[in-house]
Amino acid sequence: MLFARNHRTIGLQYFFLSLGSVVLGLVLSLLMRFHLVHPESTLPGVGDIPPELYLAFLTMHGTLMVFFVLTLAPQAAFGNLFLTAQLGTEEMAFPILNMLSFWTTALSLAIMVLAFFATGGGPLSGWTAYPPLSAAGGVAGPGQGAGQTLWLIAIAVFCLATLMSAINFITTTIELRAPGMSLMRMPLTCWNWFITAILSLLAFSVLLPSVLLLLADRLAGTSFFLPSGLLIADQALPNQGGSPLLWEHLFWFFGHPEVYIAILPGMAVVSHVIATFSRRPVFGYRAMVYAALSIGFLGLLVWGHHMFISGINPYSAIAFSVLTLIIAVPSSIKTLNWIATAWGGELRLTTSMLFALGFVSLFITGGLSGLFLGQPVLDQYFHDTTFVVAHFHIIMGVAAIFGIFAATFYWFPLMFGRMLNERLGKLHFYLTFIGAYAIFLPMHFTGFAGNPRRYADLTSFQFLAPLLPIHVWMTDAAYLTAAVQVLFLVNLFWSMKRGAPAVRNPWQATTLEWAQGPVGVVYRGPCDYGVTGTAKDYLMQHEAEPCPKP
Amino acid sequence: MPETLTTTQAGHGSLPPIDEDPFRWDGDGDGNGPNERGASRKTSLIGLVVMMCASVMTFAALASALVVRRGMGNDWSKMPLPWILWPNTAALLVSSVVLDVARRLLNHGKRMAFNWVWSAGTLLGSCFLAGQIIAWRELNARGYFVAANPSNGFFYIMTWTHAAHAIGGLIALIWVAVMALRFRFGPSRRTFMLVSLVFWHFLDVLWVLLMLLFVYYG
Repeated sequence: MLFARNHRTIGLQYFFLSLGSVVLGLVLSLLMRFHLVHPESTLPGVGDIPPELYLAFLTMHGTLMVFFVLTLAPQAAFGNLFLTAQLGTEEMAFPILNMLSFWTTALSLAIMVLAFFATGGGPLSGWTAYPPLSAAGGVAGPGQGAGQTLWLIAIAVFCLATLMSAINFITTTIELRAPGMSLMRMPLTCWNWFITAILSLLAFSVLLPSVLLLLADRLAGTSFFLPSGLLIADQALPNQGGSPLLWEHLFWFFGHPEVYIAILPGMAVVSHVIATFSRRPVFGYRAMVYAALSIGFLGLLVWGHHMFISGINPYSAIAFSVLTLIIAVPSSIKTLNWIATAWGGELRLTTSMLFALGFVSLFITGGLSGLFLGQPVLDQYFHDTTFVVAHFHIIMGVAAIFGIFAATFYWFPLMFGRMLNERLGKLHFYLTFIGAYAIFLPMHFTGFAGNPRRYADLTSFQFLAPLLPIHVWMTDAAYLTAAVQVLFLVNLFWSMKRGAPAVRNPWQATTLEWAQGPVGVVYRGPCDYGVTGTAKDYLMQHEAEPCPKP
Repeated sequence: MPETLTTTQAGHGSLPPIDEDPFRWDGDGDGNGPNERGASRKTSLIGLVVMMCASVMTFAALASALVVRRGMGNDWSKMPLPWILWPNTAALLVSSVVLDVARRLLNHGKRMAFNWVWSAGTLLGSCFLAGQIIAWRELNARGYFVAANPSNGFFYIMTWTHAAHAIGGLIALIWVAVMALRFRFGPSRRTFMLVSLVFWHFLDVLWVLLMLLFVYYG
C-alpha cells in the first residue's frame, strides 16, 4: 500500500503530504506574525527569535508553501486522483514512475526538514535563494552553511520528482484518452493539468541545472554567481567574474511559470465547479482553453519582471513589462467567462461553489495589484515592500488555496465515499474569506507606506512606527484565520470516517469521474448542463442519447 | 434510491485494490496485463520524447548560462580539450551504429546475432563512460580544476550531466543485454529495447552538440 502504483493511492499520498506541509507552513507564518508585533517576547519552546531564525521561518514557510503545497496539491494530488477517470482511462501511463515520483518528493521533503535543523542554522535565503550570500557558504553568516546546501539538494531532488510526474501527466493525456475523448472534449481540468505539466517540464528542467551550478559555487569553489572582489564579513572571497543576475535569470525562468503551475489547475476546477453549480455550460469553453494555453505560453516569457530593480537593461524591462501586461488579456477572458457562466444560472451555493466564487474575487483583486507591479516605474517603489507580499499571497497563495478547497469539497465524495459537512464548510468558507482579506488588504497599504519586506523587527524604525497598529490588526486576523482552518481539518477527518455516505453523482456533474463503472465511448464535451427534453438537466460525457422524460 | 458509494466497490471513484508488490512486472510489456496499460510501444516512445524535451531544456539552460557567463567577465580562458575525447566520441557514435544494427538483426529474427551485436554495442557504450572518467582525471592531473576557470566549470558540469544521462542509458542497455543473453527476451520486452536505443541515439546528438560547443566556443 505504501509503495502503491495506482494513481488513486498516489493522489491521496500527495494530498496528505501537502496537507502536512500546509499545516507546517501555516504555523511558521503565525510565528512570524507573532514576532513582528512582539519582537521582544520569547516563544515557549522556541525561546528568543533572533533575526536569522525569523528569516529561517520565512524561508521554510515560502519553500513549503510554494513547492510542497501549491505545486503538489492542485496538480500531483488532484491530477493523480482524477485525470485518468476524467479521460476515461484506468491508469496513468507509467505507474512505477508515478510511485517513484511520489517517494522522491517525500525524500525531498525529508531533506528540506533536515535543512531547517542543520548545524549553523536553517537556510534563510528565502525560496528564491539569491546569490551572492546563498553561494558564498558558511562565511556569509548563520544559515548559509549546511542548511543552505541541504535546501539546494532538497530542491534538486524535488525537480527530479516533478519532472517524472510531468512526463506521466503529459503522456497520459496525449495517449490514453478514451475513444471519442478528443482534445476539445476534455474537461478544462484535464486541459490545465496538461498545460501545467508542460510548464513543469520546461521550468523544473531549468531549475535543476541552475541549482547544480549554485551547489558547485558552494561546494566546488566555482564562480558562476559570485562576482569579483566580494567582501563578506571582512573576508575577501577569491571568486571572480560571476554574476548574481545570471542566477536571477535562470531562477525566474523557472519561478514565473511556477506561479501558473500553482494557479492553472485551480482555475479549471473553478470553471467546472461554477458550471456544475450554476447548471449552465462553461461559457466559452474554447476561449477558456486558448486563454489557458496563452497564459502558459506568455508565462514562459515574462520572468524578467521579477528583476526590474536588479539592474537589467531598461529596454528589456519594457519588453518584459509589455508581455506581462498582455497576460491581463487571457486572464480577463477567464474572469469574464466565470462570471458569464454563473450569470442567470440556477445557483446552488454549496461550499465548493462558494470557494470557487471566492477564488474569482481573489483572482480579480490579486490580478489588479499585478498590473501595478508589472510596470517598471511603479515596481521601482513597490518591489521590496509588503505590497508585493500582499499581491502574491492573494493571487498565488490564497486564490490557489481556495481552488484546492473548492476541489476538496467537490471531489471529496469520490475520494472517501462520503460527504463533507456543508454547514461546517460554509462557516469555514465565510470566516476564511473575510480573514484572508483582513490579512492581505491592509498589507497593500503598509506596502504603499514603504514597509520593507523580510524585516524581522519593525520597531527600530521611526518611519514604520505609525504602521504598527496595522501589523497588530493583520496578526490578529492571521490568528483568527488560522484558527478557522481547524474547522476544516475537523470536517475533513471527521467526514472521512463519519460523514454522510455519498451517492454516485451527488452534484449531477457531467464529467467521467462521476460515471458508474467503466466508460465506453465519449460522445460529448464536458459542458452539457441545462439540457431540455430529458429526465435530468444534464448529460454525462459518455451518454449517447438523451434519456426520454418519464 | 440512488446507489451509494462504498469504499470497497470496484470501478471509477472507489478505493483501489492494494498492490502487494509494487515492483512486480505484471504485464507482458505490450499493454496487456494489470497496471501496465502504459507499457505499449507508442506510449513508451511518447514518454521518452517528453523526457528528452526535459533533457534538452536542461542542456539549453546550461549552454545559455555558459554564453552569458562568458560574455560577462573577462576571466574566460578556453581549456584545451583532452585528446581522449575524440576516441570517446568515436566510441559513442560507433556504439549507436552497432546497437542499431542489432535492432535490425532482431527485426529479421536473428536472435543469436542480436545477442552478440547488442552486447558489443553495450560494451562500446561502457568504453565511452570509462573514457570520460579518464578525461576528467587527465584534466585534474594537468591542473584544470573545476574552480580554476568558468570554462572548466561549465565543461565539468555539462559532461557530468551528460554522464548522468549516459549511466541511465547504459543501465537500460545492460538490462536488455542480460535479458537477451539469458534468452528472456520475448517480443514483449522489445519496446524496452527500442526505448533504450532511441535514448542512446539521443545521447549521441547531445554529445556531438556539446563537443561543437566546447571546440568552437567554450
